[in-house]
Amino acid sequence: MSSGSTLMEIVMDGISRGAVYALVALGYTMVYGVLGMINFAHGEVFMIGMFACVYAIGVFSVAWGDHALLNLGLGILVAMIFSAAYGYANERIAYRRLRKAHALAPLTSAIGISTFLQYFIFLTVSKEKVPFPRFYSDFLTSHSLTIGPLEITYLRLAILGTTLLIMAGLFHLINRTRLGIALRATAQDQLMASLVGIPVDKIIAFTFILGSALAAIAGVMVAMYTNVLVFDAGYRVGLKAFTAAILGGIGNVPGAVLGAMILGLTEALTTLQFGSEWNDVTTFAVLMLVLLLRPRGLLGERVADKV
Amino acid sequence: MRKLHFLLSLAIVFTVGSALTGCQKADQSGPGTPAAPPPSIKIGLAAVESGSDAQIGATMLEGSQIAVDEWNAKGGVLGRKIETISLDDEGKPDKAVNVAQTLVDDGVIAVLGHLNSGCTIPASRVYNDAKIIQITPGSTNPLYTEQNYSYAFRICGRDDQQGAVAGAYMYDQLKLTKIAILHNKTAYGEGLATEVKKTFEARGGTVTMFQGIGQDENDFSANISVIKGSGAEGFFWGGMYGQGGPLCVKMRQSGLTIPFVSGDGCFDQSFVNTVGGNAPDIYLSFGPDYHKIPAAQPFLDKYKAKYGHDEGGYSVYGYDAANVLLTAIDQAQSTDADKVAAVMKSRSFDTILGKIEFDSKGDLKTTAFVLWSVKDGKLQSLPANP
Repeated sequence: MSSGSTLMEIVMDGISRGAVYALVALGYTMVYGVLGMINFAHGEVFMIGMFACVYAIGVFSVAWGDHALLNLGLGILVAMIFSAAYGYANERIAYRRLRKAHALAPLTSAIGISTFLQYFIFLTVSKEKVPFPRFYSDFLTSHSLTIGPLEITYLRLAILGTTLLIMAGLFHLINRTRLGIALRATAQDQLMASLVGIPVDKIIAFTFILGSALAAIAGVMVAMYTNVLVFDAGYRVGLKAFTAAILGGIGNVPGAVLGAMILGLTEALTTLQFGSEWNDVTTFAVLMLVLLLRPRGLLGERVADKV
Repeated sequence: MRKLHFLLSLAIVFTVGSALTGCQKADQSGPGTPAAPPPSIKIGLAAVESGSDAQIGATMLEGSQIAVDEWNAKGGVLGRKIETISLDDEGKPDKAVNVAQTLVDDGVIAVLGHLNSGCTIPASRVYNDAKIIQITPGSTNPLYTEQNYSYAFRICGRDDQQGAVAGAYMYDQLKLTKIAILHNKTAYGEGLATEVKKTFEARGGTVTMFQGIGQDENDFSANISVIKGSGAEGFFWGGMYGQGGPLCVKMRQSGLTIPFVSGDGCFDQSFVNTVGGNAPDIYLSFGPDYHKIPAAQPFLDKYKAKYGHDEGGYSVYGYDAANVLLTAIDQAQSTDADKVAAVMKSRSFDTILGKIEFDSKGDLKTTAFVLWSVKDGKLQSLPANP
């Protein structure tokens, strides 16, 4: 049943799935790195990015016709701006005032915002699944690169490439730039950071804006990959991405990608070996096992480096 | 300044939100509740109206609503107007029980619904305890009528019948010997998939894969790789169109062109819209072709005139269910559930799908599942022996 080429295809499926989780997990891990809080609404910002892109594409194609690349590019841009605005607003409304409160307060607020946004989109935009306009994803899904027996669609390559690019970019930003120093300082001690002249509020707002814009990119890619937009898309992908971030060591950027890849591969291999109905059982078993052995996650050791 | 920022953010959220709202399609054409002077007879309509299977549930309720409107135009039943209370169970079992309780509390005398077997079965207990007639126009899981509830009826076939037809078709007509089966882990999906497996294996075929997948999963790539690797010549999907459509598209995109067979859960125009108007090698089991029944035409015309689009398959069953219920109430000259149920089980009823009779369990005495395919942008029935 599991011949060599099937196994390779499954591994590729797992990596693609992992890349999708990783795109979202990076956002969770960034906010956690700076604020030490879990932004449960991140999945919803991701979902809003999906819808914003598709509606923007609709408007553009009415305005000046079906130019696939131009409309898609502008659609992604609009999605990033939309999501960034939502991310900023979330921080401003739901989190900033609770920054010094008990740790449960911002967490509860985050869950509240998450539910609010989900049902806000449910009630105002669409109660049903909306298909992603295939015209705009066909050039990515119908062409593929052939390596041996494997055919990898351009879309999968794009998702994987984007994930690695964003990971490298974030890593560079955090570790090699002045802004990164400010981020790390804020992560370590907000009071001290503000005393040495770092605008802590702005740094945190920047984190949310950046994370949300990245979530929008993830949203568009996932929408192209699965062909559907739905109001609770952020919930499922968000849960898996959050698990991935914990698995890799929350707060750690390469850890998020590593955790996501392990999760994606676990699910794909489970599907091959036991059937997809076992996916949730095996993934969370892996999570528990990893946490028992490494309570901070796979790469979550260097606390000072988190962000 | 801080205040200003705060207000600005609030403003952003709401302008951005309303911008999205602005793009919304004006399709709020759900079944309305006509105002009626008391004492009216209340009937509950319950089905999935939101989420990925919203369309199929909505068409069913719309069908029932048309029947109720017709009766009201004739003066109602027992000289009283009929009032409908329509609730959305979101296709979720827990929500369905809440909906059932709400309808009972609202004093309905009967319920037409639900659609998903996973909702109908837990809700039926609530209705039975409250002595309320329930007719499901769409739930095919056998368990519903096997609970020995006196007030539970079904106006469509059962999955053991449907699965047998679909399984036999795959083996006998499509000449497949190895198939892969995927289901959505619900009472309906897994139940139907199991019946197909049983039939197919009984005829000598092999099921190379039998797996379940969560209802909210949209990434089927790993499943498709496994199907490919298993060497299956055909595929059966036990689930709804919300996942079935994208799944079929993904299979074709991955170069998997084996026949795609599914049941009544994919029987909706939305499925056709997703897979494309002339998608080849798709077979869906469903009831008889109402397009070819002259008695159904006035209803189909009326549906199109009222809702502006072609009927969904389940609107016909929604319509029939309402008519059978109201006819039975009229003949029983009472809204008492025991009397109405006695009438329903002892007499035959003329519906647009022909004369029907219920057996002692509340199932139809005869049902006929046929296979349909996608052609010219529509679902079209296949001749019995191609």
